[in-house]
Amino acid sequence: MQNLAKTDRDNSASLGVRQSPEMARVWDPIVRIFHWSLVLSFGVAWFTSHSSDDLHHWAGYFAAALVMMRLLWGFLGTPYARFSQFVRRPAIVGRYLLAITTGSEARYIGHNPAGGAMVLALMTAMTATALTGWMMTSDKYFGVPWVGRTHDLIAHSILLLVFVHVCGVVLASLRHRENLVKAMITGLKRVS
Amino acid sequence: MHRILAVTALAVLMTGPAFAAGTCSTAPAAKFQPQATLETKLKAEGLTVRQIKVEKGCYEVYAVDKAGKKVNVAYNAETLEKLANAESGEN
Repeated sequence: MQNLAKTDRDNSASLGVRQSPEMARVWDPIVRIFHWSLVLSFGVAWFTSHSSDDLHHWAGYFAAALVMMRLLWGFLGTPYARFSQFVRRPAIVGRYLLAITTGSEARYIGHNPAGGAMVLALMTAMTATALTGWMMTSDKYFGVPWVGRTHDLIAHSILLLVFVHVCGVVLASLRHRENLVKAMITGLKRVS
Repeated sequence: MHRILAVTALAVLMTGPAFAAGTCSTAPAAKFQPQATLETKLKAEGLTVRQIKVEKGCYEVYAVDKAGKKVNVAYNAETLEKLANAESGEN
């Protein structure tokens, strides 16, 4: 972990990026563009959900494309973008969540175990929503009640997940005195 | 004032075709025709009805035709008049 951060920092320094010495480039541009584009497409899809607007369909296709891109990037991307770096066993996620209740959870430079689980949950839910949404437009599944109900249900569960995600971001930011929202914009995080 | 009149006139002109093509019923739900009546009528036309949603004073029909192509139409729930816009009840 420490080594990764150090390598990143050295790379940035050699590229002439001005930053305070203790900061490391953690989130690469693909990760950040993915994150905020997904926020935008979910927002657009949410607010156009009660119309048959093309905009709603395009937001869905765009979200699906973003998730596919992120899936690839999870295997080919920079160190902190890789699933192998942040996807952890459920037991470790559980232990981390338990540690939150006693205020003893560790700080992670990349995703913490709960954050990593949230990435997977959101990507899965986004895929399922986009898929069922597309099915609703096909001749085969058009108007089939369970498809529409599933689409609605998962879309609403995304809203719930987003709420939990934002709570987690706020909590971790307060606990470790850092601005994680800003980190997802600049890509920079404190090394220690 | 002239501008307001012009905008109003434009708005009326733009919504004109929608009115011409029929609107949803404004009557209470008790006055609506039963959904079964609409369904029977659609079956007679060769459609396979998958779902009928009540959208305010409209029935929005989700169906497929004989060729298996999707058909999305709205009907005035009181008169069962076919409307031009399938989303009439949502606007």
